[in-house]
Amino acid sequence: MENFNHILLFRTDIKSEEDKLVLQPLLDKNKNIEQWNVDLDDEDYVLRIVSYSLKHEQVIEMVQDHGYTCCELT
Amino acid sequence: MRTRDIEKENLVKKTAVETIAKGGFESFSMNKLAKACGISVATLYIYYKDKDDLLSQLAVEHGKLMGKSMLYNFDTEASFEVGLRQQWENRYRYLINNPTLSKFNEQLRASVYQEQFLSTFMEKALEPFKRFNENIVSRGEVKEMSFEVYWSVAFSPLYALVKFNNEGQSLGGKPFKMTDAMLWEAFDLVVKALKK
Repeated sequence: MENFNHILLFRTDIKSEEDKLVLQPLLDKNKNIEQWNVDLDDEDYVLRIVSYSLKHEQVIEMVQDHGYTCCELT
Repeated sequence: MRTRDIEKENLVKKTAVETIAKGGFESFSMNKLAKACGISVATLYIYYKDKDDLLSQLAVEHGKLMGKSMLYNFDTEASFEVGLRQQWENRYRYLINNPTLSKFNEQLRASVYQEQFLSTFMEKALEPFKRFNENIVSRGEVKEMSFEVYWSVAFSPLYALVKFNNEGQSLGGKPFKMTDAMLWEAFDLVVKALKK
């Protein structure tokens, strides 16, 4: 069976394109992140990160350091 | 460890279609969808990148499904009446047997997903329908006219009846249930109108 441990999901308050732009440099340049996106269309503003090495806590810390709420989506 | 579960995925798609058919796209959210399916929001985001990804995939899938249903038993070389009859039959069965689907498709057509829905549908269905229309004109069964005029006359009565039926009422709230007899009565009139 396929395993999805490399998909990390977070509920955030990244609500707009502007918010996204704030985080973009940080997420784009992180070599451990294969791909990322934020669902601006939906109420949980889910940040979805594809990474084979990062842990949830590391992402949460990164995002919170930039002033946004971020908690693991379970 | 999370794993992909086809049954769950099908439940997600089915529930999404039902929800959108009922309430449109406005009130649709991943959070509500997850609740309605009894799964976590996280599971949804494992399957789909975001809401847009889910809705795009649904649009494409339903475009394909509609194309397939409409081409069932359809022969591009058939005579005008036989070929159009099969198209009516296919559209009718598809829309009547799936009132939820037809409402969902209506919502799709009025949304930003219309392009994806229609282009997938057209991908398979456009050629055979075009071929059929060329045939009936070159055989002199039907006079040459713009596609839009042909389409309006050929199918609008069918769609109007199906709409009345699926809404359970016609003009002025009069209760209405469509029968096969009505379908073919309208069909005969359409054939009479279009045939040279």
